[in-house]
Amino acid sequence: MMSEQHIIDGCIRHNRKAQQALWRQHSGYLLAVCMRYATDRPEAEDMLQEAFLKIYFNIGEYSGTGSFRGWLRKVTVNTAITCYHRNLRYKHNVDIDDYVSTETGTAGFEEDFCNAEDLYRVLGELSPGYRMVFNLYAIEGYMHHEIAEMLGIDVNTSKSQYSRARAILRKKLEDLADMNKR
Amino acid sequence: MTEEERNDGLEDLFRKKLEENEMETEGALTSRVMHSLQRREFFRFNLLRFNIYYLTFSLAALTVAGLILLTGPRDAEEASGDGLPQQAVTAARTDEPVLQGEVPQAGDTMKTSALRVRAATAQDEASGTVDTSGTITEKITGRETAIPHTRPVAETVKVSTVNTAGINTATGRTGPGNINPAAGTTAGGRIAADTTAMILSFETSASSGCVPLHVSFACNAEENARISWTFGDGGTTSLRNPDYIFDIPGSYRVTLTAIDSRGHASVASAVIEVWERPKAAFEVRKNEPFDEGDKVVFVNLSSGAAEYLWDFGDGVFSALPDPSHRYEQMGKYNVMLIAWSAEGCADSVMVSDLLTDRGMYIRFPNAFIPNSGGPTGGYYNLRTDEESSVFHPVASGVSEYNLKIYSKAGLMVFGSDDTEVGWDGYYRGELCAPGVYVWKVRGRYRDGREFIMAGDVTLLKY
Repeated sequence: MMSEQHIIDGCIRHNRKAQQALWRQHSGYLLAVCMRYATDRPEAEDMLQEAFLKIYFNIGEYSGTGSFRGWLRKVTVNTAITCYHRNLRYKHNVDIDDYVSTETGTAGFEEDFCNAEDLYRVLGELSPGYRMVFNLYAIEGYMHHEIAEMLGIDVNTSKSQYSRARAILRKKLEDLADMNKR
Repeated sequence: MTEEERNDGLEDLFRKKLEENEMETEGALTSRVMHSLQRREFFRFNLLRFNIYYLTFSLAALTVAGLILLTGPRDAEEASGDGLPQQAVTAARTDEPVLQGEVPQAGDTMKTSALRVRAATAQDEASGTVDTSGTITEKITGRETAIPHTRPVAETVKVSTVNTAGINTATGRTGPGNINPAAGTTAGGRIAADTTAMILSFETSASSGCVPLHVSFACNAEENARISWTFGDGGTTSLRNPDYIFDIPGSYRVTLTAIDSRGHASVASAVIEVWERPKAAFEVRKNEPFDEGDKVVFVNLSSGAAEYLWDFGDGVFSALPDPSHRYEQMGKYNVMLIAWSAEGCADSVMVSDLLTDRGMYIRFPNAFIPNSGGPTGGYYNLRTDEESSVFHPVASGVSEYNLKIYSKAGLMVFGSDDTEVGWDGYYRGELCAPGVYVWKVRGRYRDGREFIMAGDVTLLKY
């Protein structure tokens, strides 16, 4: 097993072995990241491919400070944002369901009623804009003003989209929990 | 977003479940990404890896090398394939004219291989005539080793060719094609042989002329030669003495090929010029009605012409491009224009029966659309009455005139003694009903001829 530094150096030299090692070690994690941003698995794979090409060609820019994994994730998230902007041109209609106001309870979610697959599915069912904002805010931990800047939208838009995305997700998860109980 | 809303743990759920999640990346995806990486890398410059820049460079290098090889000795293989001896050979007849070859430079493969061809030529002859021709062998020492070929070939300094006509062959660098290696006397001497044989030629009835040009050809080839003609415009024949018509202007190279009984082909050719004809045309302008002594103007509309001759038909001629003429009397005149081009090609056109009717006539339309806004009084202008709101004749040379128009009920709705005043479609200030009306006209032309005409006209609703 190559060490992280070996892999990075090898990738800078375009060493095929190092490139493959990088893929082996991190592709699973980054695919999971992409899955959060994509509607479905094929889209996530396309995103991952693009992200990895970016990583391979720009690995020299990794400064060495901060975790390498964090850097990889950042590149991947940026790729997802690029993809989102690109797709925006083609997918600008929002599902009517997204606008239906949903009653949300305040009961906490138990961790075990659903698995990661379910979460990917409900995320994938969100409209791309909602999914983007939710991911960036809830999971990546960006602030609304940062998200607004990244996506080129208004801060308030980011906030309201997040709120709606959250409501939709909650409704869907509640439905899911109900179904699982039965 | 209130804190309350966050207490349901939705974010925590997603974060816990997804943040550090890993997924299986199966082999297909791996190889897809790797292929795409390789493809991308191929198009990026990188000193350490084979990429498109290397490929381009090596292709360019190969092309250059290929060009060098090609422009140099195209026949290098031919020469080396002839099984030449490893000895340098020079075949020379002292009494023959001499072709001087270049001495090859050491290591200069281009030049040496060019010379190889000459060597091959020499060898062909030398092998046949070596006993009688006093061969001089000249070795170029120290040069063969410098040529990086596994199969050293002859390097000639002097090459002789057999030339029956005794013409001095050019000295210096002679291209490989100038010498026919196999036959100094047969193929190579063909041109010279032609000088001894009958020279092929042919006669034409014309070398130039106006389109369509008819030309008769006659050749002097021997009786049983195979003949073929090409006329330069796509036409061919194997007739011995053909007649041909060129029907498109242009310059045509007519080629005669004759293959005699011994199989020798001879060629002769000539150029036939086919000139374009001008196009004669003219227009007659005269007064209507026409009075005796009025001037008639002829407007020349010919094209491609340089000279003209007009025959006015009354015994008067003119060479002016645009003449005018006064006829002393009315009558049937045939006017003819002949136009010549600069090459002398002619065209003619004739207008017959000029000044027959003196331009006196009267004609009526069969429908009109009255102005619905009110009566106009029937005055009209031939040029402005385009919507034909007035029923009126088109007349010339009329001196007396009376028009009457009746409705179907027999009521006379209009009458006029002036061709300039027509019917506007109103009767006593009221627009007449649409329908068919009958008219009758009686009058006299200026020359005294009387005319009586009748017809109907349809009044259309605007």
